[in-house]
Parts: sequence; C-alpha cells; structure tokens
Amino acid sequence: MKLTIDQRWDLIDKIAKQTITFGEYRHTLKDANGELTIKPFTGIPIAIAVMYAFWSIFGSFAGFFTDGFFVRLFDAYWLPWLQEVFPGQGGWLYAIMVDAGGIEGGEFVLSDNCLESFGVLTSGLFVAIGVVLPAIVIFYLMLALLEDIGYMPRLAVLIDTMLHKIGLHGYAIVPTILSLGCNVPGVTATRILETKKQRFIMMTLLAIFIPCGAQIGIMQDVIPGLMGWILLYLIIGYFIFGYILNKIVPGKAPEFLIDVPPYRRPMLSNIGKKVWGRIAGFFKVAIPFVLLGAAIVGVLYQLGVIRFLGDALAPVFVGWFGVPKETAGPLIAAFLRKDLAVAQLSVIEMTEYQMITAVVLVSIYFPCVATFAMMLKEGWKELLGAMAVLTVVVFAYGGLIHLIGILLGVA
Amino acid sequence: MAGKSSVAAIYFAILGIVTTAFGIADILVTAGASEFAYGILEISGGLFRGGWGGVIVLFAGLFYLSGIRNFDDIHQCSKVVMGSILIWIVAGCDIFAMITESIPGGEDGPWFNTLDGFIGTYAPPYAPAVLLLPFSLVVVYYIYKRKQEI
Repeated sequence: MKLTIDQRWDLIDKIAKQTITFGEYRHTLKDANGELTIKPFTGIPIAIAVMYAFWSIFGSFAGFFTDGFFVRLFDAYWLPWLQEVFPGQGGWLYAIMVDAGGIEGGEFVLSDNCLESFGVLTSGLFVAIGVVLPAIVIFYLMLALLEDIGYMPRLAVLIDTMLHKIGLHGYAIVPTILSLGCNVPGVTATRILETKKQRFIMMTLLAIFIPCGAQIGIMQDVIPGLMGWILLYLIIGYFIFGYILNKIVPGKAPEFLIDVPPYRRPMLSNIGKKVWGRIAGFFKVAIPFVLLGAAIVGVLYQLGVIRFLGDALAPVFVGWFGVPKETAGPLIAAFLRKDLAVAQLSVIEMTEYQMITAVVLVSIYFPCVATFAMMLKEGWKELLGAMAVLTVVVFAYGGLIHLIGILLGVA
Repeated sequence: MAGKSSVAAIYFAILGIVTTAFGIADILVTAGASEFAYGILEISGGLFRGGWGGVIVLFAGLFYLSGIRNFDDIHQCSKVVMGSILIWIVAGCDIFAMITESIPGGEDGPWFNTLDGFIGTYAPPYAPAVLLLPFSLVVVYYIYKRKQEI
C-alpha cells in the first residue's frame, strides 16, 4: 500500500496524538545550572573547579594507597624477602629479575627500595601495582562520573573555540582526556573526529604531549613538586605545535553540532561497568608491557648497551637538552613504558630544572610501544607522519626548554 | 516571599563578600609563597590548594555577589547555587585529603594511624573553604523551597 504525502502526514498526526503528551514547560533550577556550565563567562570558572576536584581527588586517592601502604609493603617486605630467597645474588638473572644493586668499595650492595632495584619482580611490579593501578582506578572512576553526570559534552562546548585554533573542535576533548588515562583508547577515540587532518593532528598531539595516567601517577609519587611545571610545558607545547600543525597540514577542520543532555544522577551500575572495563584493559595492555619493559631495560643494562648509548649520545643529551647522559637509559625504557622511565629518572642525580626537562623529554620523545602499535593500526602513513613531527618536536621543544633554563639561569 | 528573598539576598551578599575576601587572601598568600594562620583559619601557600583553590573560592564569591540581585529569578538563584557548589568542591577536596591522610600510620609508624593521630588530623586550623562550608549549605534550604513551589 502506497500512501500519498497528505496521508503520511495524517498518519504522523494520529501516532503523535496517541503517543505524545503535551504539558507546560517549566524552567527548573537544574536547567538553569546546566546553562551556567555552558556559557563561557560562568562555565570556565566551573570547568576550572571541576579540573581542580579531578586532580585533588586523584592525588589524595593515589597517595593514600601508594605512599600509605604500597611503598611500605614493597620496600619493607617484598624487596627484602625476594633479595633473600631469589638464588644467584650478583648474577645477571638476579639483576634482571630482582635487584641490579650497585658497587660500593668494590663490593656488590643491594638496593633498599623498589624504585632503585630495577628488577622485573621489584621495580616492575611496584610501578605496575603499587603506583599505576591506584592512579588508573581513580582516574577512570572520576572520568566515568563526569561522563554519566553529563558534564563532558558541556566541557566540549566550552573548549570548542580554543580547540578550533589548532584545527580541532570541542569533541577533541574526549580523546585528550581519555589519553590522560591511557594513550591507547585515546588514539582509538580519534575516530570520532571527521576529517583525516583532524585525526592526524589529534593522534600526533596525543602521542607527544599527553602523559598517560601511569606516568602522571608515578610523577605524583616521585616528583610531586615539579609536576605542575612539567604539565605546564606539555600544555603549552600541545597548543603551540597544534597551531603549527593546523597551518601546515592540508585538509578541513569542520564545525560540529552537539546535543547537550540535561544533568543526570549517575548510575552506580553504569559507572562500575565502565571503570571495570577500562581497568581490565589496563591489566591486559599495560602490566605486561611494564614487566617486559623492566626485563628489556635490565638486559640492556647488563649487556652494556645503555652505557654505550649514553656515551654515544652524550653530546646531544648534555649539549642540546642540558640533561645528564645517564638519562639515555630511561629514554630507551620510555619506549616500553613511560612510567618506568620516570621512576628510573627519579633516582638519577640532577638539578630540578634538569629533572623537569628530562621528564618532559620522556613524555614527548616517543609514544610507548602499545600506543605505537595502536597508531600503526590506524594507518602506517599517519604513523610515519606523526613520527616525523615527533622527531622535529623533540629536538625543537627539548632545545627550547634548555634555552629557557639558560635564560632564567636555572639550567 | 519577597521578605524571604530579601533575607536570602542579604545573607548571600554577606557570604559573597566574605568568600571573595577569602579567595583574594588565598591568592595573595600563595603569591607571597608563605603560609598564614590565625585562630582556626589557615591559608596554604601551596600553588595547588592555595593558588588554584583560592581562584575557585574567589569565583564562588563572585557567583554569590552576582546572584543576589533579583534572587527570585531562577537564573539568579542558580548563580548562588553554583557559588555554593564551588565551595563544596574545594572544601570536599580538602576534607577528602584529610581523610586519606588520617588513616595510614605514616612512614615509620604502624600500618594504620593511632586513634589520637586519626582524630588529630581533623582538628583545626582549617582552610577557608572548609570554614565557609556550613554557611554555604544554607542554599540547600532555598533549593528545597523552590522544589516545593513547583
């Protein structure tokens, strides 16, 4: 049976009368509050407060588990026990699995904490379970809460104008914030952007300038006082190089339309499912890489490769970036896991400014291998392009930070 | 109702002035890189709680002050509600930090804090946002009243 246009409209009217109830609309306080969070003049202060709460709770929660319990558990019980029961003290397997130790007065000396031991079962497990896991749990819990309340679309609207300056739009806040948890889902989330240009810019910026939750967790634990400066350098870099990429990468950056939902009471079951799904992903992807990273770095140390690279690259590290040549090891480890690399940097003797530079370099130097694999999945041309940009950024931005340090008299 | 709204306007005007003053004090103390303590009030000189937190307290004060005129209007009332929400965010974070500090026993102590140590963590002095918290809760009454009217 074929209906004419008029018959169709009649049918629509009939269905509408039976299914839709019309009533008087009243603007509620919830609606008014929703509007306040979108208007720039009032929305930006609220966004500043939301971000404050995010980081404050993140720091308190992660510090509670890591400093309150895990540091003691690993340093006072787990490490001494393993040092005692693992056979072959001083041998290469012992160094890789438990404790690389050190030489004092010609004698082998054991480490007294898990950050300095560099073993798979000590540093590797401590970083993965003791430091990164609490950070990841609270990060994803907070993110799920913001998503379920309905705040994320509002943040996207608020930041839209700013992100247009770097060729993106408000939705780019989703992969950016996801990447603060783990770069892997962040890279996947770039698919919500419409054009190739936008996806390329976003993927490149994520790989270079967005530290993952694991890295932030370990920074919070080992260098809390410097974290603000490091994040500031990364945010500035994100916008500077985003702006440059927007100018040189061909393609379009269209406007976007978004349906902003009303605020809703979050559902516990939804939040539980989201957090569990993401943490399970972390267990599958990150923990094996942390342990593998600790093993590979241990082997490279034992074979003398790290020392060789440190010596060979010393002019670049010391002369161009202004950091000690010993940072070569952590930079190699950073390809496997950036959190592990920051932990290794924290025990190298250097000035505060050198530490800031070194951690920023770890962040921008190379995406971790899991992110690298994910980027490859998105397209080898995009990956090659991102790597080319990354090489330029590392040398340009690393050198610029060193130059700023020299000008300020702190480098 | 007009009488009630004028009481609310006066109350939130005073609260707005005090909150704004606390926010400015927070920022000034942080800028001076020092700490300030007077009685039960303590202002942190840290960049995070003192600086960033202070900016939010200042915004809360400005929200209160901008919402007091024509308080019966829902948009004006929502500004006052938002001012209180900002205070709750900063104070809530401070209290959460206190809770997480009060439970572990410290580096060289036992696994868990002693009862005295636990209670001692919650003793004054407090940050400005924590002191403002009970006064900001008054807005809950007006939210409830407005719901009743619908």
